[in-house]
Amino acid sequence: MGEGQRINLQGNHACALGAIAAGCRFYAGYPITPSSDVAERMALELPKVGGVFIQMEDEIASMGAIIGASMGGAKVMTATSGPGFSLKQENLGYACMVEVPCVIVDVMRGGPSTGMPTRPAQGDIMQARWGTHGDHPIVVLAPSSVSEAFSETIRAFNIAETLRTPVVLLYDEVVGHLVETVQVPDPGSIARAERKWATGPREAFQPYAATDDDIPAMARPGDGYRCHATGLTHGERGLPTQNPAEVERAMQRLLGKLERHRDVIDRFETFAAEDAEILVVAIGITARAAKRAVAEARRQGIAAGLFRPVTLWPFPEQPFHALAEQAKAILVPEMNAGQLSLEIERLSGRPAKVARINRLSGEPIEPAEILKIIEELARHGR
Amino acid sequence: MSHPVELRLSGSGGQGLQFSARVLAEALLRDGRTVAQSQSYEPTSRGGVSRSDLVVSDGDIDYPLVTGLDYLVILDEVAAEFPPTLLKPTATLLVDESRVQTRVAGPWTIRSSPFAEIARALGNERAGNIVALGTLLALSSLCSSASVAAALAAETPPKFLDLNSEAFDAGWRLVQPTPAAEAAHARA
Repeated sequence: MGEGQRINLQGNHACALGAIAAGCRFYAGYPITPSSDVAERMALELPKVGGVFIQMEDEIASMGAIIGASMGGAKVMTATSGPGFSLKQENLGYACMVEVPCVIVDVMRGGPSTGMPTRPAQGDIMQARWGTHGDHPIVVLAPSSVSEAFSETIRAFNIAETLRTPVVLLYDEVVGHLVETVQVPDPGSIARAERKWATGPREAFQPYAATDDDIPAMARPGDGYRCHATGLTHGERGLPTQNPAEVERAMQRLLGKLERHRDVIDRFETFAAEDAEILVVAIGITARAAKRAVAEARRQGIAAGLFRPVTLWPFPEQPFHALAEQAKAILVPEMNAGQLSLEIERLSGRPAKVARINRLSGEPIEPAEILKIIEELARHGR
Repeated sequence: MSHPVELRLSGSGGQGLQFSARVLAEALLRDGRTVAQSQSYEPTSRGGVSRSDLVVSDGDIDYPLVTGLDYLVILDEVAAEFPPTLLKPTATLLVDESRVQTRVAGPWTIRSSPFAEIARALGNERAGNIVALGTLLALSSLCSSASVAAALAAETPPKFLDLNSEAFDAGWRLVQPTPAAEAAHARA
């Protein structure tokens, strides 16, 4: 990560430091394992930079508080885990609809319900995409190391601010509690994106006007621009509407805006994937196990490769397509009953060539287990 | 160090396993090493199996969790059960004989010492984790004494620093340090 300080840092703390570096100045949250270290660190760091930390009365209020603070002009974040993420979904939908920039961290533990608080899982992959009701735009980033917990948090803020959208940072308990030796860059070297504020004549301002880039300018409180924010379907003036043509236009823009800005959203990592006949697709700690398994398979002469979506949603479809087409088999190891594999089957062109490893025990999937299935696929195909 | 070294500190929640792992990781960082430290604990503030694992390398660490332990420290009976396949045949085990009743057996080098008892004699049984850390570092050549001393000073609350320093020395003196460990000690 360039010049800076070489330290041992925990994943959750890296997320907090990344948030501060990105310009986050408001955090509201409610403690929940395994995400509480994010709140602890924010409580220590925010006062140093003139920011505000609030421990709210519950998860729902925490989500409400960051939405309000963002409307007030601050860069904002909250962190939680599955049970809390469930509670946040209604307000998260509101943030998607009203287009409020915010970052929500979900550190995945065993579920459903209160599940296993201290054990890792990857069971919120679909919830992160579809947890709140109705069609809605949302971006989900999936770091797999402490270093990435830092850098992807910064990217989460930059995407949220640039595209006026909630961004979910999704990682498993292992990544959250993992301590790794990392190079933390100087805060001054971090590129920060700022949101587009309303300018020009106040009378002509329309809070949801479809601008050139489909991202409406926000009204900064105190600047004198009139603004109405509602979860009801609204037209360009921000007022509720059920006029079919107006609704269609508003929703097409809302749902299409992320697709138009794939260049700032898409991110993925490949390893030995160019000529891979067996392509492994994984996120989080599972992706790191997969990388070692792929390296070992290559040493054995098996043409294995890795595709790791760093941006999980919207899925980086285009770069994946070509690799998926050339692969004879695709393997999706994940700590759930099969979620990422659903998307991979959809994108693979031939669902039958997608094999799965699913883990529900609360233990991470080990490299040896992935290697074993790669070897089987190499021997018997799919 | 050509291959990564893997360690596990295990015992009962509240014994300071995460603390001693943090001290060790900090010392290794000061020696220029790259570490990955992971943990497992149960949702109780005291008790239950607790462990902290370290992977130590001179370069990047691809997979940060342990897959073949070189060292396993067992400080309590609750951690006496472990998957034998997780240990390399050449692994060294340190067992606190004052708190582990199960007779640990296998192809490994096994050393039993009364870490908790030694700590109690120094004034606080809870420093048993640091006694074991002293022994562990005397047996291995993982890091320099200067780095450990600095890490202990950085991580320990001031009122426990004397105790932890004495506990570390007591653990170190429990074994005949390996020549490499002795050399690392002398460099300090």
